[in-house]
Amino acid sequence: MRPQKALTFWCAVLGIIVILTACASFLSSYGPNDMNLDEVYVSPGEDHLLGTDHLGRDVFSRLLEGGKVTLTVASVSVLLSLVIGILYGGISGYVGGAVDTVMMRFLEALITIPSLIIILAFQAFMQGGMWSMALIIGITGWLVTARIVRSEFIRLKDAEFVKMATMFGTPIWKILFGHMLRNSVPAIFIVTLFNFAGAIFIEVSLSFLGIGVPPAIPSWGNMLYYAQNDILIGAWWIGLFPGVMIFVTILAINFIGEALKNPERRRLDA
Amino acid sequence: MLKVDHLSIEIGGKQIVDKSSFFVPRGKITSIIGESGSGKSMTVSALLGILPPGAKATGKAVFNGKNLIAVSDKEMGEIRKAHLFTIFQDAANSFNSSVKMRHQLYEFSGRRTGDSSQQFQMKMKAILDELGLSAEIVEQYPFELSGGMLQRCMIACALYVEPDLLIADEPTSALDMVLQQEFIGLLKRLNEKQGTTILLITHDLDIVAEAAHEMIVMRQGEVVETGNVMTVFERPEHPYTRRLLESRF
Repeated sequence: MRPQKALTFWCAVLGIIVILTACASFLSSYGPNDMNLDEVYVSPGEDHLLGTDHLGRDVFSRLLEGGKVTLTVASVSVLLSLVIGILYGGISGYVGGAVDTVMMRFLEALITIPSLIIILAFQAFMQGGMWSMALIIGITGWLVTARIVRSEFIRLKDAEFVKMATMFGTPIWKILFGHMLRNSVPAIFIVTLFNFAGAIFIEVSLSFLGIGVPPAIPSWGNMLYYAQNDILIGAWWIGLFPGVMIFVTILAINFIGEALKNPERRRLDA
Repeated sequence: MLKVDHLSIEIGGKQIVDKSSFFVPRGKITSIIGESGSGKSMTVSALLGILPPGAKATGKAVFNGKNLIAVSDKEMGEIRKAHLFTIFQDAANSFNSSVKMRHQLYEFSGRRTGDSSQQFQMKMKAILDELGLSAEIVEQYPFELSGGMLQRCMIACALYVEPDLLIADEPTSALDMVLQQEFIGLLKRLNEKQGTTILLITHDLDIVAEAAHEMIVMRQGEVVETGNVMTVFERPEHPYTRRLLESRF
């Protein structure tokens, strides 16, 4: 596929997923937690589009509702990490000197610790709900953003137009936002996109391990977690659909990121 | 207009400019010429108060009765805002590539003189017209314009602001010959029409011969010769100036 077409295609895929999950309550005829013990393990068919699970809950409703949870957690965490990353990287890059050195060494120290370990530790004493989950992923996910913002700010600080603006007495906030942050947007956007994919992945992994979103709230990771036993008795549909959704969503985000990373497009984004 | 007296610039103990003294007379085009690394641009940075961190300037540079080397940052800001205008080497990088020209031209001109956006539009349109630029460029982004057009936009801002002193740091080195000539013509017109004093930094003798009234020759951080362009071209005194003149095509 040509890059432009690929971009449109994957954006459409991601868009459909987002719209489907956002409209979860309109699209599904069953509540995500409605149990019906007369209809357990019903295979996909007319009444239940994607079948039911071991408590007779409709997989399709849970899939949409779970997507809403997963995507919300990922979005909130990404926004949080974006804010922290821009602030941290921006200060480090703009101030420079000793401040920059100290901040970067600290960041490198954090990067060496696998974020999963930090998240596990946090989860242990925060008894994670959905929002605390987003918070935790957010405050562990800003490291790469901060690095990118820092390098962009260092590059732009020496740009001639910034010097011109400084010389003509442009207020500092205008330089920071109008000149520096604005011109870093393409790079920040792409790294945030990949962060988003990463955040989905972390939410899914944690929930799959049973330490993420509480079991009462459906999420794609939770669904996979409960599907482990179901697969053994042949109820493949309970695990397959969340798996496919996770796979397609992360794939779409990655492909969008790759397409935007293409340097030929750079100017159009700018 | 601008009298520089024993200006020295030091970076980390290394002498970049050594006790240079020269004078920029009002209403004239004065050119600083010299090879790369002769301290031309550093001199300009010192005058504008934008020396890189770690650099230290000593001496005096009196502009409109104020010593530019010793004034506070705030005062320097005022002077730069009200009396000076600078054009840098690479116009393409002097504009923020993600902002439309209209906002940037306003930032560089109208906002400095305190004009409203409407006043600015009227006045800028006339200036752009005069410079042979279509009024549509204000709705475009800098990367959609050529280097020559952007440099002309810079001149447009200078025409708008009517600064006392225009400092142009190698404004033509990124342009081809035809555009260079055109640009120099514009500088001359600015000088003749508005009486703007221009300090033109260059390494190109032809430009000096074409545009400047006075010239300052710099070499390895020192001013080796100053004087009227005609006189210096006819009777160069310093051996370096002689060599420079001989190396012309």
